[in-house]
Amino acid sequence: MRSRVVAFLAVLLLTLAACGGAVSVSPPPSVTASPFPAVLTDFQNRSVTVPARPERLVSIGPSITAFLFALGAGPRVVGVDDFSDEPAEAATREHVGGIKVNFEKVVALKPDLVFTVKFSDGTIEKLQSASLNVLVVDPQSVSDVAKTATLRGKAVGADGEALSRSIQQRVDAVKAKTATLTARPRVYHEIDASDPTKIFTVGPGSYINDLIDIAGGTNIAARAASAYPQLSAEEILRTDPEIIVLAASDYAAKPAQVGARQGWSVIAAVKSGHIFTIEPNLINRPGPRVGEAAEAYAKIVHPELFR
Amino acid sequence: MRTLWILAFLAVAVVVSAAAGILIGTVAIGPGDVIAALLGSNDVSGTIIRELRLPRVLGAALVGGSLATAGALLQGLLRNPLADPFVTGTSAGATLAAVAAIALGATAPIVPLAAFAGALAAVTIVWRLARLGGSTTVLTVLLAGVVLTSFVGAVVTFILVSSDRLALRLRAVLGWLQGGVSVISWDELAVAAVIVAAGLGFALFLAHRLDAYAFGEETAATLGVDPDRTTTAVLAATALLSGAAVALAGLVGFVGLVVPHALRFAIGATHRRLIPASFFAGAAALVLADLGARVVLSPAELPVGAITGLVGAPFFLALLVRSRRIVV
Repeated sequence: MRSRVVAFLAVLLLTLAACGGAVSVSPPPSVTASPFPAVLTDFQNRSVTVPARPERLVSIGPSITAFLFALGAGPRVVGVDDFSDEPAEAATREHVGGIKVNFEKVVALKPDLVFTVKFSDGTIEKLQSASLNVLVVDPQSVSDVAKTATLRGKAVGADGEALSRSIQQRVDAVKAKTATLTARPRVYHEIDASDPTKIFTVGPGSYINDLIDIAGGTNIAARAASAYPQLSAEEILRTDPEIIVLAASDYAAKPAQVGARQGWSVIAAVKSGHIFTIEPNLINRPGPRVGEAAEAYAKIVHPELFR
Repeated sequence: MRTLWILAFLAVAVVVSAAAGILIGTVAIGPGDVIAALLGSNDVSGTIIRELRLPRVLGAALVGGSLATAGALLQGLLRNPLADPFVTGTSAGATLAAVAAIALGATAPIVPLAAFAGALAAVTIVWRLARLGGSTTVLTVLLAGVVLTSFVGAVVTFILVSSDRLALRLRAVLGWLQGGVSVISWDELAVAAVIVAAGLGFALFLAHRLDAYAFGEETAATLGVDPDRTTTAVLAATALLSGAAVALAGLVGFVGLVVPHALRFAIGATHRRLIPASFFAGAAALVLADLGARVVLSPAELPVGAITGLVGAPFFLALLVRSRRIVV
């Protein structure tokens, strides 16, 4: 019984890790300026050579898939992970697994370039040992996301610079309004409260922590020890958030449920009714919609500035 | 007289461990503020103490007391020092029923009742299996428990893994299966307290019959104790207590095994003493284990089942070795 539970939890942890877990932020990747062969430095500081314009792409990571389609490389994507559903067309591609990558399927698709997010379970090494050309792209900050558009563009032979600029402009427009604000409300962002004594939230080094900051808020867990720390309900009460943000999904708690939790009625956000939901795919995936994500979060934190 | 002293000592132990459980938490709150909070102070510390820590400590006490009492009952009924709700699969049965109830959309008061029904079914099955050979030997009881626990484990895993596909909100069950006291509301605690009170009252009422049982069923019958009715009653009381414990804290192992066994050395095997002593000692033990779960790796929190398992499993092995030497 216990070992099954442990196995199940391990899978859950892997999901978190695969979704961009507590890994150190890499320095921004550098890009050499030439068409093909392109020599790129990926997010594991490896030098990756793309000899010619890749025609068969496999994408492991929903944010990568969204980027490839945004760059116009969608028609060349032959395989995606099970979670890739943006844009809708992406889900029609061959699926190569989710939490566990199906290596046989990836190899059978004969990709000339495999894009993947970081894995801590040896997945990337295994892909490489299958003689696949692997490029790891896994930004964990908003500014890195925009920069990766250039890297991804170089890899597939598309104009990443333009996409990078348009993303950065949208983010900068939000920053321009919030950067000088002195009133920065305390924000508690709930990831998962399945266990009410150990609630997952976002800490420093996480993508959502960055979004809260850009939106002009103060993350109550900004000084936590990890990117996805667990807080006790006691700590949430003590930090007294003025705004609570939940994922708008079937699995997440609903605003009314959060307000009704034992003891939570003393929290400022509960008293004022400032409990909001946000589209999880928009803010969980460091993809091309990062500008939209910053705007959506800023609308919650500073509705007076963003209408 | 000595028994009274021991009972008084155990009652004090419950109060002291509860005080420690209330004083220590992730947010540091001084003793003065804690007392003010218990008297009804109107600030965040007050809410943290009254609405978060107090129900958790009371929940841990109920869970520990119930498991230890259920363990004492099972050990008496099976005349087997290695029995408790966890190793016999009784808790696993309660877990299966509770998970199934949650999967079907049941809420607070239904879940403990489902857990009770599951515990009753499981403990009855174990009892029947154990008696197949005509006598209830240690190993048949343990094997029946192992079989039941792994079967339930398989079914629960199946429900959990398919729950995503069925769009069920079952992720809460994960933390619960590890054994953790996470009291969500006073309502939940009140329902459990009523069930525990019924189970404990029942257990005290049955104590003298279990004492007669210690000499074997034939002797018990000559003393005017109806073995079948007594068996049924003991199984029901065990199920009430284990069901309430599982509903509050999931799978917490070994408390029910270690506590009554250790108490037998201190106060003897008389159930009229053993049952109330087990309740108090179990309550104190689990409040302390839960406190340990909170502070050992602070600020991270261990599931309390890990603490009880660390202490209980070696104890269980030692008992198993002894029971093989002394033929039971």
